[in-house]
Amino acid sequence: MKKQRLIVIIVVFLAIVGFFGYNYVYQDHRDIKTETSTLEITAPYLLERFKTNNAEELLNKTITVTGKISDVEENGITLNGSVYASFDNLTSEDKVGDKIKIKGRCIGYDELFDIVKIDQSTVVK
Amino acid sequence: MESRRFIGKLKHMKTKIAFTIICFAFIVTAIGQEKYATKTGQIKFEASVPSFEEVKAKNNDVSAVLDAATGKFAALALIKGFRFKVALMEEHFNENYVESSKYPRATFKGSIQDFNLANIAEKTEYVISGTFNMHGTDKTMDVPATISVDGDALLLTAKFVMQPEDFNIKIPSIVSNKIAEDVDVSVEFRLQKQ
Repeated sequence: MKKQRLIVIIVVFLAIVGFFGYNYVYQDHRDIKTETSTLEITAPYLLERFKTNNAEELLNKTITVTGKISDVEENGITLNGSVYASFDNLTSEDKVGDKIKIKGRCIGYDELFDIVKIDQSTVVK
Repeated sequence: MESRRFIGKLKHMKTKIAFTIICFAFIVTAIGQEKYATKTGQIKFEASVPSFEEVKAKNNDVSAVLDAATGKFAALALIKGFRFKVALMEEHFNENYVESSKYPRATFKGSIQDFNLANIAEKTEYVISGTFNMHGTDKTMDVPATISVDGDALLLTAKFVMQPEDFNIKIPSIVSNKIAEDVDVSVEFRLQKQ
């Protein structure tokens, strides 16, 4: 009787460990779209922050960038020539010259193009 | 009389200078047109070991610039832009292995050997010699690449092998049997004429 009880406890324990272990190892990716952004900033100022003090604290953060569209590519929008936002799936019909607000994950400063890049972007209406 | 002539001379000089500036501007734009670039290049790497979880990531936002006149080539990948299937693996990659907050960029700077845009239709196999910088460490490498014309763009692809230890990236012994020592890297850049 006692032994049986012990087995049940062990099985339940292992199931719980397995459940939480699995959920830890296979946790979901961040959903940038639903995350609240930690900062709202204009595109030229964001670039300025990276150039003047490296803005390391903004890396991997969800931020909202505002600006004027200076270029539209397949799955990417450039704001004021200073921030490039890449989309997993760009469906926006905004054109060059339009003002826009984009939320995405800041991934860093690209010195080849002198531009800050954000990914997993969505257009904020 | 004398001063009027001087002003006339000055005016003449002004047009001359303006003309030189305009000529120079044309030359600069002509050189500028030799540039091919992309902001959406792709780098994939894989360090999977059979029968373990695949170790594989992809970055679709890699920048690259090729100066067709000189064959000089540069590429830059933001490390945070590498996406894994397993979120925890991505976290470990960033925080423990490549330390992407400290070293946010991986760069390559080099030149394509014997590059000549005019002959690109005949020759597609090239060697790019240059220096990788990643995780604060430099490594010189010769990378074989193929370059072909695709409309008004150049398609550059390359496949090569890298070792984490070359960049001073330490893999803890508990996971070292799940991560291959040789990391297969494949690169695809569609360089648009600028």
